[in-house]
Amino acid sequence: MSALLSAPASETATVEPATVAARRRRGSGRWHRVGVRVLATAALLGLWQLLYSLRIWSPVLLPSPRAVWDALIRTSTTHDGTVGYQGHLLIEHLGISLQRIALGSVLGIAAGLAVGLLMGTLPWVRVVVEPWVTFVRALPPLAYFSLLIIWFGIDESPKVWLLAIAAMPPVAVATAAAVVGAPTALVEAARAMGARGWQVTTTVVLPAALPEIATGIRLAVGIAYSSLVAAETVNGMPGIGGMIRDAQTYLQSDVVILGLFAIGLSGLAIDGVLRAIERRLVPWRGRG
Amino acid sequence: MSSPLTGPPAGARAPAGGAPLSVRDVTHTYGRGATAVPALGPVSLEVPAGEFLVLVGPSGCGKSTLLRLIAGFEGPTGGQVRVGGEVPRPGRQAGVVFQQARLLPWRTVGGNVELALRLAGVPREQRAARVAELLDRVGLAGTAQRRTWEISGGQQQRVAIARALAGSTPLLLLDEPFAALDALTRERLQEDLRRVSAEAGTTSVFVTHSVDEAVFLATRVVVLTRSPGTVALDVPVDLPRSGLSPDELRGLPGYAALRAEIGAAVRSVAS
Ligand SMILES: Nc1ncnc2c1ncn2[C@@H]1O[C@H](COP(=O)(O)OP(=O)(O)OP(=O)(O)O)[C@@H](O)[C@H]1O
Ligand SMILES: [Mg+2]
Repeated sequence: MSALLSAPASETATVEPATVAARRRRGSGRWHRVGVRVLATAALLGLWQLLYSLRIWSPVLLPSPRAVWDALIRTSTTHDGTVGYQGHLLIEHLGISLQRIALGSVLGIAAGLAVGLLMGTLPWVRVVVEPWVTFVRALPPLAYFSLLIIWFGIDESPKVWLLAIAAMPPVAVATAAAVVGAPTALVEAARAMGARGWQVTTTVVLPAALPEIATGIRLAVGIAYSSLVAAETVNGMPGIGGMIRDAQTYLQSDVVILGLFAIGLSGLAIDGVLRAIERRLVPWRGRG
Repeated sequence: MSSPLTGPPAGARAPAGGAPLSVRDVTHTYGRGATAVPALGPVSLEVPAGEFLVLVGPSGCGKSTLLRLIAGFEGPTGGQVRVGGEVPRPGRQAGVVFQQARLLPWRTVGGNVELALRLAGVPREQRAARVAELLDRVGLAGTAQRRTWEISGGQQQRVAIARALAGSTPLLLLDEPFAALDALTRERLQEDLRRVSAEAGTTSVFVTHSVDEAVFLATRVVVLTRSPGTVALDVPVDLPRSGLSPDELRGLPGYAALRAEIGAAVRSVAS
């Protein structure tokens, strides 16, 4: 028995060090980025404090960083018998909102995947459904929220529906585009190995679509996030969006800004998590 | 001593018997009406078992088209193609190696070969051993866990060959598989492929632009005319299939004569 097609040693030996070096470079790049960001944030805080000290605007319009910090402490503790903000700690407001976002995103993403897959595989579905997806995408969530409230009342369901509807289109569009654009070369390779029908979809089309689907999912969660305040306009307390609206009616700009930070920072954290998952799931991105 | 390719194939898909490949009066036209492009033919070829047929011809003469018809990716617009007496269907009768390796990047090197085995119907419990054996045969032992983008172009093409062999098909189709490789790697792969096919007796159809590659690999060379390609020259290559080193083989007087004959034919169809 002969070792057929014997590879030259040089072909096998050289790969490892390059990968390690690349990994190290990526690592040092990360610390560099973190440093730059910390500095930029500090600079912004300084600017904020400076603007406040100049007293151009009244503290009601622009509270000091310190006031926002105090609002954080106030809403996160029980003081004088009051619990947090309007009976709920900040973390509870945030937690309930995150639950709504999670539920809405999961539903929206699942629907988007199904619709996108159908649009990508069946041309007539694409023809019929595509304008509607674009239509829904163009609507501001607050516009259909009224209808959802008429249909579902003022409890949790209209909020979750709103987030789901907002999250669905980007996933549908990304999935459909990725399925339609499945690399012919790889589809053919799979068919040459004997894959037929559904096997081609599962072995090539879906895995090849994963990077684009992952981007669609990140967009969807982002859109659900930015629709949160809309979803919590009616009966939104407890909820971070509800908290912001409530504070607005009492001109508590420090709580409003605190709420913005809570949404923004948790949004960043979740996007970071999604990106980490994406890197694990699609390590071949950009190297196809 | 049993060669891995002649041993009982696990998951072989096509029945034995019948002329491995028969191409009769085949023509192929892309598109219809005003935009129709006659791409090939008429071409007739009978390819007996064990033959290593190399197709040479000017760019655009329909070599890839002919290979796609034999693979069953498309049906010919005229004439008939039969592999083992049957209408070819992709993934049934022929393993295919393309010009680019076309590995699935979300699978490891071993995972790519494993998928080919799975699609060929090899039972799960036999696959791991077969993956190792196939990778060993293409000189890639121990690389099963590697990512496809971590290995060189030559290694990727070796994986593609392992994948095409995985189906234990009676026919192997190769469309300029070494064209994108550097001269040294290409020579090494040519030597290895020549040895494999000589030992295994698989029937192969191999497309190339290189006259030297054609003479080196083939038991028969067919030169096609300019588009739409028809057979301009069909010569057997009666050189020893084994026992000679590549240099000895290239030093034979018959080798040089064939090179000259085929080279002249290629030049005359190209002008
Ligand atoms: N999918 C297609 N649609 C329309 N025309 C095509 C298609 N594929 C090939 N052709 C045309 O058919 C003819 C033969 O193409 P083919 O790819 O078979 O040539 P080839 O001999 O493989 O060329 P090369 O040596 O450059 O690879 C060419 O004129 C080409 O433009
Ligand atoms: Mg070609």
